[in-house]
Amino acid sequence: MHLRSQGTICAGETAMIQLVHVTKQYDRRPALCDVTLEIPKGEFVLLMGPSGAGKSTLLRMLIGAERPDAGQVFVNGKNLTTLKGSEIPYHRRKVGTVFQDFRLLEKKSVFDNVALPLLVQGISRTDIRRKVTEALRAVGVEHKRDQLPMSLSTGEQQRVCIARAIVNGPVVLLADEPTGNLDPALTGEIIDLFKLINARGTTVVVATHDPSVMTQVNRRVVTLVRGSLMPELRVGV
Amino acid sequence: MRTLSYLLREAWANIWTNRTTTVVAIFTTAFTLACVGVFLLLYVNLRAAAGWLQDDIKIMVYLAEGLAGSTVSDIEQQLRADRAVGALHFISKEQALGEFRAQFPADSHLLEGLGQNPLPASFVVTLAPAFRSPDAVRRWAERVAAVTGVAKVDYNQDWLDALSTVIRSIEVVAIGIGLILSAAAVTIIANTIRLTLFARRDEIAILRLIGATKTFIRIPYLLEGAVLGALGSTCSLLMLKALYELFRQQMRTTGRLRGLEQLTVFFPLSICLLLVAIGVILGCAGSFLSLRRFDEAKV
Repeated sequence: MHLRSQGTICAGETAMIQLVHVTKQYDRRPALCDVTLEIPKGEFVLLMGPSGAGKSTLLRMLIGAERPDAGQVFVNGKNLTTLKGSEIPYHRRKVGTVFQDFRLLEKKSVFDNVALPLLVQGISRTDIRRKVTEALRAVGVEHKRDQLPMSLSTGEQQRVCIARAIVNGPVVLLADEPTGNLDPALTGEIIDLFKLINARGTTVVVATHDPSVMTQVNRRVVTLVRGSLMPELRVGV
Repeated sequence: MRTLSYLLREAWANIWTNRTTTVVAIFTTAFTLACVGVFLLLYVNLRAAAGWLQDDIKIMVYLAEGLAGSTVSDIEQQLRADRAVGALHFISKEQALGEFRAQFPADSHLLEGLGQNPLPASFVVTLAPAFRSPDAVRRWAERVAAVTGVAKVDYNQDWLDALSTVIRSIEVVAIGIGLILSAAAVTIIANTIRLTLFARRDEIAILRLIGATKTFIRIPYLLEGAVLGALGSTCSLLMLKALYELFRQQMRTTGRLRGLEQLTVFFPLSICLLLVAIGVILGCAGSFLSLRRFDEAKV
């Protein structure tokens, strides 16, 4: 990170995500307190903390859904604090998001759900077919492409959600409690998928309150408690 | 192309998913617009009637006594060259006397004692349609009265003013009621779209998260509003046409008003198309209002 003389802060060249003295309050209750964090390109980070610690707020800031009350947020070289509302959709196309409740469209097939991020960008039919097939293959649900999400198991639904998040080839993958609805065996499978995606060069941030995930990930751990960052742990590599 | 087909499919899905609400909204909009249409139809017919009455307004240009034939010709040439003059008819002193005797045979002896014909020669002028407003008529009459050889210009100023006031009042009422009922139509459509937006809020949230622009999200709902507006206004025109034909039928069967139905008019095709276009605009405005409010909600 570099500090300019006039106080403007520039993202470091190798940092994919940077939070600089970020503070956010909801109704005078602090959600994030002076958080400063840097995540280099290609890193896998586990964002730990109990419910209400500010993990989701932090992830929402990284997709431009929230703006900090103070401080600055950089993702992929863009300062989200100053980004215009009309530019946010284009930022989100470079960031994949995975949710605990999957957020799949029930009335659309698996294929159509995964195709949605490409459709909103006006990608050609041929490219959509190719990219969706690749994404579904990568997460192991290609054979379910014509089914509706509700006919799938929870593990398969989460895989479809991950396929939708990676179909664009995002530079960052954010996952908010992605294993919250899964049993331990399925949790392991999903974590392995994230590791695989990370191995291909995508920066991955997984937010969870489940300590068992930490042992499965074995990477950098950032802990938030009541909106403040705790001293970091780095488990294995 | 794929994006367009997606947007059209989504618009159709919105309409089909909420078909009961959609049908209710179309008919409520149709009734509301039909109320506007009744006033508009009334206005169009009264305007046409006022036009016929204005056609009947004749201006008398009385000539001074003892004018040479060449002077009368000059005045006639001058009037014929005036672009405000639609039609012109000369009545000589003798013709005026003949007409007086024909119209008032019992009083014709009144003129006998005068020895000579006291009635002046005159021109009966009908003004061109663009010059029939009370102000235009007044200005024209003042101008012609100043012409050498013209003794007096006479016309019914009170009648013209009254007619003009009636037309203006109808215009104001039609515009006022039109605006109020158009706002009602916008509100009805806005509420229908709001229901659709509420039903699909999760889907919209997902679209926002995956990088859909506002325009991409809005288009299906704007299309839905446009369809509601178009169908609503088309239904209102069909209702009006049915009511209009029923009214004409009633007039035909009512003895005293027989023949009057020939004078009534329905909207020409251009006005019908304009009303459908207004329905589309009102529908889009309703959608836009709901979308504006919905956009204020966070992801």
